[in-house]
Amino acid sequence: MNDVHVDELLSDHVRGELTDAERTRVETHLAECAACRVSRERIAHLMAELARHAPVPPPIHWGAYRAELRERLERQSSRAGALWAWMVRPAPALVAAGLVAALVYAGLPGVPPPTPGGPDPLADSTIMASRLDLLARLDVVQHLDMLEDFNVIGELDQLPEPSKS
Amino acid sequence: MESSDEQLCKDVAERKPGAFDLLVGRYQERAYRIAWSIVRDREEAKDCSQDAFLRLHEAAGSFAGQSKFSTWFYRILVNCCLDQQRRRRGWRRLVGWRDRRDEGEDATDPVEQAPAPLTDPVEQLDTERRMSRVWDLVQELSPQQRAAVTLQCREGLATKEIAAVLNLSEATVRVHLHRALSTLRKRLGDE
Repeated sequence: MNDVHVDELLSDHVRGELTDAERTRVETHLAECAACRVSRERIAHLMAELARHAPVPPPIHWGAYRAELRERLERQSSRAGALWAWMVRPAPALVAAGLVAALVYAGLPGVPPPTPGGPDPLADSTIMASRLDLLARLDVVQHLDMLEDFNVIGELDQLPEPSKS
Repeated sequence: MESSDEQLCKDVAERKPGAFDLLVGRYQERAYRIAWSIVRDREEAKDCSQDAFLRLHEAAGSFAGQSKFSTWFYRILVNCCLDQQRRRRGWRRLVGWRDRRDEGEDATDPVEQAPAPLTDPVEQLDTERRMSRVWDLVQELSPQQRAAVTLQCREGLATKEIAAVLNLSEATVRVHLHRALSTLRKRLGDE
C-alpha cells in the first residue's frame, strides 16, 4: 500500500472509502503537506460539481424502447433457431440415405431377407415335409432326368404305388 | 413479496415468463443513463443499453451470484459501451480522423497551460460556467476514465464495485480516477 502515492487515495478519502490503515496514512500526510490539503479540497469540490451538474440524457419513449428491445430479442431467438436448423439440416438427409441403403442391401440377390426373431419353425417344418414327400417316392425321382420331368415331380402323389417286388 | 434482482436473473435463465420484462423495467433508465454518459449519443446509448439487455438474456445462466446482480449487469453494459467506442474509433482511424483523446493526457494542450484563475467574486461566475460544462470535459477523457468517473460521480458506485464492473484492480481504478480528476482540474483551470 505504501507504494501508492497519497494523491491517488484522495478521492477515496473524500468518499470515506479507505481502510483504517490507508486513512491514517493519508491523514498523517495531509497534516504535514499543505499542497495535498489544497488538492484534497479541490478534488472534493470537483466531485461535488460532477454530481451536481450531471447532465440529463435526452428523453426517450420507454414504450417504444421496450417494443424495439422485444423485437430485437425475437430476432435474436429466431436467428439462433435458424442456426440450429441449419446445423441439423443434414440429419434427415442422412436418415433417408441410410434407409435407402438398407432397402438396397435387403433387395440384393443372394442376401437372405432379415429374419427378425430368428428362424421361423413353421416354414422349416413345411419345407421338411415337402422333402419327405420326395423321399417317399425316391425310386421314381432317382430315374428322372433333371429339367425334363418337372410335370412328373408335380404329380408324384398321383403316380401308382410302386410294386413291392 | 417482490423478487430480488438476483432471483429474477435466475428466472430469466429458466425462461420464466415475465422475468426478463421485470428486470428491464427495473434497469432500463439506469442502463440508458450510464450508456449515454459514456457514449454521449442518444441512439448509440439506446442501442448499447439494449445490447446489454440482450446479452443479459443470453447469459443469465452464467450469473453465479458471487457479486450483486447490478455489478454483473453494469459490467455487461459498460463492455457494450466500450466495444461501441472502440468500433467508432476504429472507423475514424480508418478514414484518417485522429482523435485527440487517443493521444492520452495531452501535455501540449493550451488549456492545461492556462494559469490558475483568480478567486475574486467576478471570476466566480466564470468558475460556475466552467463547472457547468465539466461533463463536456469528461467526454474528452479516455473511455475507461470516463466510465470510472461516470460510475463514481454519477451512479455513486464504490471503487471496489467500479473495479468489478471494469474488470480492473482497485489500484488501477484509483489511478484512472486520479488521472481523470487531475485532467479535469487542469482543463477547468483549477490547478
